[in-house]
Amino acid sequence: MKKGMIKATGPMERVVHWCVALSCLLLCITGMGMMYHSLNFIGTLVGGMGNLKLVHNFGGIFFAVSLVCTILMWWKEAGVFSFPEDAEWIKAAGGYLWHVDKVPEVGKYNPGQKMFFLAVALFGAGMVVSGFIMWFPLGFAVKLVRLMYVLHALGFVVIFAFFFVHLYLVTIGAPGSAPAMFTGWVSRAWVKKQHPKWLKEMEKDGTLVVYGDEKSSCKRC
Amino acid sequence: MKQELVKLIDLSRCTACRGCQVACKQWNELPGSKTYNFGSYQNPPDLQWNTWTLIRFQEHEGRGGTLKWLFRKDGCMHCTDAGCIKVCPTEALYHTEFGSVSLHVDKCIGCKECIAACPFGVPKYDETANKIYKCDLCYTRLKGNQPPACVLSCPTGTLQIGAKDAMLKKADQRVKELGGDASVYGDKFVDGTHVIYVLTEKAEVYDNLPEDPKIPLSITLWKDVLKPAGLLAAGGVVAGAFLHYITKGPKTPDEEATSEGGNEI
Repeated sequence: MKKGMIKATGPMERVVHWCVALSCLLLCITGMGMMYHSLNFIGTLVGGMGNLKLVHNFGGIFFAVSLVCTILMWWKEAGVFSFPEDAEWIKAAGGYLWHVDKVPEVGKYNPGQKMFFLAVALFGAGMVVSGFIMWFPLGFAVKLVRLMYVLHALGFVVIFAFFFVHLYLVTIGAPGSAPAMFTGWVSRAWVKKQHPKWLKEMEKDGTLVVYGDEKSSCKRC
Repeated sequence: MKQELVKLIDLSRCTACRGCQVACKQWNELPGSKTYNFGSYQNPPDLQWNTWTLIRFQEHEGRGGTLKWLFRKDGCMHCTDAGCIKVCPTEALYHTEFGSVSLHVDKCIGCKECIAACPFGVPKYDETANKIYKCDLCYTRLKGNQPPACVLSCPTGTLQIGAKDAMLKKADQRVKELGGDASVYGDKFVDGTHVIYVLTEKAEVYDNLPEDPKIPLSITLWKDVLKPAGLLAAGGVVAGAFLHYITKGPKTPDEEATSEGGNEI
């Protein structure tokens, strides 16, 4: 690890992130195997469409638990917008889409990340509820079951599209972001660019953990 | 398509002998279920995974207070625009060359989606086998140029099977003969069913018979709108991300900051 790197996430955050991410991905793949006939071959990989449904159903339980942890862990930081700075950021689209002279400085999470979090939390919860009812449809009124099919498909449209936005930004769209979810350490330059207000806050509060810095040598990391 | 067949059920001739119900069980080797007397000759009370056709008994008070005993042979209508086929994730349900709706039992994974999609409440779930079952219009018999077991057993001529046009013509003729509230049921919705009724009363009179059956709007929204939208939205995002990368470019940490923070990107 290079000296001067900044600690962005703790181990629990990373574990929860990958639990929800991998289970979500598993559910997208297995779900698509059932939704699109041309992808039925995905079922063959696990020994047939019946097994694919089992993987999807029980994977859903793992996703549900991970989602609860995700929401509990990040709701305070990423689930609540702070005005007026977040509104200004949204008006400027974070400087991502067109030229903006000065992008409003953002804290730990920018409104785009908050929207992604809320979409996952909201539609994820919708997927869990509708998925459960789809698992045991005979126990519910048929009109409700039909609505759940619609909700489940709508949730997929939103989450699957958001997944690609997320994937783009953490790989080539905003280089330097990915390490936050692997090692937990990011460069100071990256924090300065992406979350300048957060950097200032941490410096002010004395919560900034810098790698190799004796004063803040961290016992928790 | 080899030849579109239609099974005609002329309810004006039905005596509720239930020969068809027994013949269906026999040919398809369906076990019986223990039932109870709920005050009607109708038995079992509803279609089951092992009862693919059923005579419904209904006491109906007609005009002027006259009591009528209505019999209706219930079962799969074999829709052209079939909700069950639309939703089946494994293509277990399919159209045969006769236009009927058949089932590859081995492909069924027991997801029960067809149960919610059918406007007639036909597919029934067997918990033990984790499969759904329903009438397949005796597909193997049709392939052997034989009439379905129910048609073969019918002693009154209520049940007939033949080319679609001929059967529709027959139905129209019969309705004209009967007059009154008699009507043809089945040719005007879900792009035409392959089971057609000659009803002696208005359709709304019959129990469990939808007046204007169609695939539920939610099912259409799910399979015809959201299903393609899932791929379109994701494809749009991927294309958009690529465009963003080559026009606006990535958001990279500023150069001058690198020396300070050990950034190598």
